[in-house]
Amino acid sequence: MSIRLDEALPAKAKPAGLRPAWFAGGILAVVVAVVAGLALGPVSLPPGSVAAELLNLLPGVRIHSGLNDREVAIVTQLRLPRVVLGLLVGAMLAMAGAAYQGVFRNPLADPHLLGVAAGAGLGVTAVIATRTATGDATSNLPIGVPLAAFIGAVGAVALTWILGATGGRSRTPATLILAGVAVSAFLAAAQTYLMQRHVDSLREVYSWLLGRLATAGWHDVLLMLPYAAVTGAIVLSQRRELDVLTVGDEEATSLGLHPQRSRYLLLIAASLGTAAAVSVSGLIGFVGIIVPHTLRLLAGASYRSILPLSLLFGGAFLALTDLVARTAAGPAEIPIGVVTAFLGAPFFVLVLRTNKTVSP
Amino acid sequence: MIAPETRVAVGVRGLSVRLGGNLILDRVDLDVIEGEWVTIIGPNGAGKSTALRAVGGLLRFEGRIDLNGTPVDRVPRRERAKTVATVAQNPVVPPGMHVLDYVLLGRTPYIRPLGRESRSDLAAVDDVLNELDLERLAGRRLDTLSGGERQRVFLARALAQGARITLLDEPTSALDIGHQQEVLELVDRLRAERGLTVLATMHDLSAAGEYADRLVLLAGGRVVAAGTPREVLTEDLLAMHYRVKVRVIEGEQGPLVVPVRG
Amino acid sequence: MKRVLTTVIAAAALLLAGCANDDAGAGRPVPSASDRASYPVTVGSVTMEKRPERIISLSPSATEMLFAIDAGPQVVAVDDQSTFPANAPRTDLSGFKPNAEAIAAKNPDLVVLSNDLNKIVDQLTKLKIPVFQAPAANGLDDTYNEIGQLGTLTGHQTEASALTDRMRADIDKIVKSVPPRATPLTYYYELDPTFYSVTSKTFIGSIFSMFGMANVADAADPNGAKGGYPQLSQEVLLKGDPDMIFLADSKCCQQSAASVKARKGWSGITAVKTGQIVALDDDVASRWGPRVVDLVQSVADAVVKVPA
Repeated sequence: MSIRLDEALPAKAKPAGLRPAWFAGGILAVVVAVVAGLALGPVSLPPGSVAAELLNLLPGVRIHSGLNDREVAIVTQLRLPRVVLGLLVGAMLAMAGAAYQGVFRNPLADPHLLGVAAGAGLGVTAVIATRTATGDATSNLPIGVPLAAFIGAVGAVALTWILGATGGRSRTPATLILAGVAVSAFLAAAQTYLMQRHVDSLREVYSWLLGRLATAGWHDVLLMLPYAAVTGAIVLSQRRELDVLTVGDEEATSLGLHPQRSRYLLLIAASLGTAAAVSVSGLIGFVGIIVPHTLRLLAGASYRSILPLSLLFGGAFLALTDLVARTAAGPAEIPIGVVTAFLGAPFFVLVLRTNKTVSP
Repeated sequence: MIAPETRVAVGVRGLSVRLGGNLILDRVDLDVIEGEWVTIIGPNGAGKSTALRAVGGLLRFEGRIDLNGTPVDRVPRRERAKTVATVAQNPVVPPGMHVLDYVLLGRTPYIRPLGRESRSDLAAVDDVLNELDLERLAGRRLDTLSGGERQRVFLARALAQGARITLLDEPTSALDIGHQQEVLELVDRLRAERGLTVLATMHDLSAAGEYADRLVLLAGGRVVAAGTPREVLTEDLLAMHYRVKVRVIEGEQGPLVVPVRG
Repeated sequence: MKRVLTTVIAAAALLLAGCANDDAGAGRPVPSASDRASYPVTVGSVTMEKRPERIISLSPSATEMLFAIDAGPQVVAVDDQSTFPANAPRTDLSGFKPNAEAIAAKNPDLVVLSNDLNKIVDQLTKLKIPVFQAPAANGLDDTYNEIGQLGTLTGHQTEASALTDRMRADIDKIVKSVPPRATPLTYYYELDPTFYSVTSKTFIGSIFSMFGMANVADAADPNGAKGGYPQLSQEVLLKGDPDMIFLADSKCCQQSAASVKARKGWSGITAVKTGQIVALDDDVASRWGPRVVDLVQSVADAVVKVPA
């Protein structure tokens, strides 16, 4: 996917879009997250050597880094896939959050608050819990997991959307979130029931629920990559449509748009991205609300800027959060979902208090 | 009567609209000739806004609506958006959006899917901002503007659409009389300069009469009177359909309607 | 007391090793010298090119085994749950949430663990660190096997054989010391105060079976669908009316004969009426290492006291 930057315009006011400075800032954030994520850990490695090993991954490059085989394996087999997966998951969650906010014209929309993540979680649990008893807890995720997660995610968002309109024709941000909470609770109950019925796979489900970034390998990266690419391409292709949708369906229609068509396309794409993220990483909340909101405040309200920047900053945010999760209490790990919730819950309250459009 | 050589921009025949099972418009006939300004008047609930939305292609309807001779429901959306532009009664003001970006939304039908605004789109917007004296507001946030400024911006977006037919739903309802006049004068000037066809709805009967070439009086979903302001703004017609006692005074630009205590 | 026992076992092992008894090592490669095993050795999928000198154990049972076969000096780190023996180099490494990098940071040449959680075997293998998995035993034979395997890997085969021989003999003696009964005693084995228990199919259950005892939990998991660890309802327990109650939650959850007696509705259970409530050492009861002999002894001591 290519992101075009604004060429300098002679006029004083420039049309909204991705500003080169912000784009560069996003790239910088990703680079910082990658270097920090690779350099820090229980085994201390010189950042220069880590950078050299990183360059060695490029074809044709051969730099002597001074690391032994085991240290190289730590960088390339343990830390790098984990950082890359963190980038992908964070990018998907942040971008899906931004897309949901645009589609529902709701500043509180977030993959978790809408029940999407719970739906995806139920899908994953169903696959893990019901697969044949021969599958041991250590094997890689089955290929079917993202698909099951996707079905669960779409089902959940549809349910939330329908419930959000009951008791009145209008969906205010608050009723939508209330519906999301109800759907989440219901799906979580269904998930608990499934887990109780399949006690033998309980441990595996729990280890997945608490976030699998700790066990990230290249397998997970490869599993997620195609979904991330499809989601990213679709959502970015609709960034201008999302800006048009901010004026409401009727005005968007009079401007020549098919609002429902764009909406369904975006919903499916965002749910696909959420499902892929949830299936490899477990339940990590609040990324979809923290990142797009901060960007909206700092870099402007246009989705042409929020969406691509959410990809970059969302990825960097989660990779850095994961760094905190695995180093703050080392060698034990804090589940990454706990760290994002610590940051996200106060942020959520802040959004509630400052956003006038939230109250019904 | 319409002379055969004039072109009909908006042709409505037997238009009926049902919303939620209620018949809102009942076999409405209406014509707007190219370059003409027609204003629909009528009491609350008469179906004025519904008629405008139907003409804009935003509602399902029975009957026939032609825009420049083509049925509105057969025109692809983008083409329709290049033909007819609507300023809603209470347009949504997207939080945080800048005036320039809002006006650029008007260029949506010209931007290919996956594309971005071209230099000609930007030029068209510059042109409109210029014409409506909005250049200095281009970098401002729409939600920080005053009512009069906002109405000019809404109009600017519709103009940026490059459509020759403009639908205005209560364009002055949120404005004080000074700004009401300013906006209506602006529309009239643009109509002359750009050859626009205007179909509007209005509450203020005097203003409606002053600016429109013809008026259509809707009541209970039906056209009960149509013609020049002098033909429609009569004490009898208004008393019957608005259930109000009025005095109609001859003004310089047309009849002035003054309600009096009955 | 435990340390004394270990020392005795270790001393006995050395003595036995000196006496060059070959019968226990039948079928296995005979070590050329008492502590100079020949390398490379292969156990399962693990091959050691030379004697491991930096072993990390993430399993309390394996830690006990390693120290009992005199491989203790080769152990550089054990997990946070490895509380025995006291001189084991306990660290904050976790066997439940293993962290590959934290393990690698200690530069081990062999990692012993019981559960492959969080893909730890996969990750350590990527780091080219040999991993030996000694899973939870299903019976005493598994324990003997694992001790033998650890002996082979660490160069203490002789000591390992001596230890298992000694354990076999001790357990045999203990079991024989308990007179048989006409009607089997029934028992309830409590893992935690929410009534999770074990069936006869588990390692723990097999020990009680040696004394001809009947488990009230067997009916709750007849086909092993719950892995032998069913949760019982109080009603099933009251109906099962066990003759004896064994508490494996005395340390973790402060359960005791007194606390069991105080439970509502339990006063009608035979074990409660007759006071046959035995608090076991949680650690000993949850591990399948050399101290299983202590566990067998505790059970025997309790069973002997029950009037026929």
